[in-house]
Amino acid sequence: MSNAVYISLGRQAGLAQELSMVANNLANSSTTGYKTDRAIFSEYIQASGNEDPSISMGWLSAHTYELSQGAVQATGNTYDLALQGDGFFAVETDRGVRLTRAGHFQQDPAGRLTDAQGNTVLGAGGNQITIPDNASLITIGADGSISADGQLIDRVGVFETEGDLVRDADTLFEPLAGYAPFEAGQMIQGALEQSNVSPVEEIARMIAVQRAYEAGQSMMEREDQRITQLITTLRNNT
Amino acid sequence: MKSLQIAATGMAAQQMRVDVISNNIANMSTAAYRPRTAEFTDLAYQQVVSPGTITSQTGNLVPAGIQIGTGVRPSTVSMELTQGALRETGNELDLAIDGRGFLEVTLPSGETAFTRDGKLNRSADGEIVTSEGYALTDGIVIPADAASVSISRDGEVVAYFNNQVQGQPLGTLSLVRFVNEKGLQALGDNMFRETEASGTANRLAPNSEGMGALRQGFLEDSGVDVVAEISDLIEAQRGYELNSKVITASDEMLAATTRLR
Repeated sequence: MSNAVYISLGRQAGLAQELSMVANNLANSSTTGYKTDRAIFSEYIQASGNEDPSISMGWLSAHTYELSQGAVQATGNTYDLALQGDGFFAVETDRGVRLTRAGHFQQDPAGRLTDAQGNTVLGAGGNQITIPDNASLITIGADGSISADGQLIDRVGVFETEGDLVRDADTLFEPLAGYAPFEAGQMIQGALEQSNVSPVEEIARMIAVQRAYEAGQSMMEREDQRITQLITTLRNNT
Repeated sequence: MKSLQIAATGMAAQQMRVDVISNNIANMSTAAYRPRTAEFTDLAYQQVVSPGTITSQTGNLVPAGIQIGTGVRPSTVSMELTQGALRETGNELDLAIDGRGFLEVTLPSGETAFTRDGKLNRSADGEIVTSEGYALTDGIVIPADAASVSISRDGEVVAYFNNQVQGQPLGTLSLVRFVNEKGLQALGDNMFRETEASGTANRLAPNSEGMGALRQGFLEDSGVDVVAEISDLIEAQRGYELNSKVITASDEMLAATTRLR
């Protein structure tokens, strides 16, 4: 095949994956604490030998996520916490500690604070948080301090990480380089951070992806016609 | 085209959200109904290129990698624990629980169930029963000739008779609470059943140790906030449409591919 076909094929393979990211973003437009996915295309240079100019191809090389704050929606539930500004909550899963921005917490039968999947939420000291059952009023302050009927009992931990984050399921992130307490973390009780997906942007990206894909398709069609024509011409001349 | 399946998970999630909202709106006048909220979470990621993969002998690392999400799933449909407004009815056997707690009832099968719906009545035998006719586990029997019954905030039930000045104490109603009320299993008819997740029932006297107080002559209204539900409904409907647009786009891209030959 000609190089032109390979170039548009590489681009199209990347575009099909980018559409998957757009689809995932839109599917998660109502997911608490979800962060938008973005694709990064980069140039890949292929030397074509001797004196010929090299070929440049675009391919999907990496992805990133927008960690911008999602809208905060009031729910009124005692254990719904929304982080304001930077930082993450930490939960202990069977695969290790994971960070998350989704603060939809509840209590397990033993009174420990857990997330919706039952993973225990870590306190400021990396401990599990147990809330006494006989308290009638639980308040959680902006710095995460939990008080039961006016008695300070523990603090919900806010953490940060220097290294990369790998996405795990259930809106969790795996911190590759560990995590450390983030003292300036602020939270709001009775609210949840919504997904930061912007539907308008996603639809615009989707249209761009679709048209770029179709443009690649028509280029391939034209390339196909060109080769067919070449063969016809050569055959007629012999 | 993975995007087709991903968008389908998004549509299914929004559909479920509409189901939950419609159930809330349908129960906007149900006594002591607690609105449910559907919560969603993303599915596992396909790690096409893992971040931290070494790309050269000098130890260069891929900074972000390529991870493609596979969609969304509902994580919980949880009950909001905010109390509904108390409405005065004047009926002597209408009870509202002001604060935490549930009334315990015995089902015909012998199982126990829990409810916050305090629309109580007298059975033919004088037992205090729910509107479905299930008896409260406390087993208080009101004498047939009692002129009136008073129930204190602490749960003490006293019967008064026409020919007697002194009331006759009949017993005490108790309330039950759970560590994790969101873990209760809804049975319909405003009743719940204890589960592993809710923890065991903790039976206490009303108006003590953080337990709610009983209010005679009141009923707890449904906790549904109709305005909030309608704005949620609009969001869910638009979310559904956005996901269907992705399906259309994926379909057109596939059509472009098949047109090639």
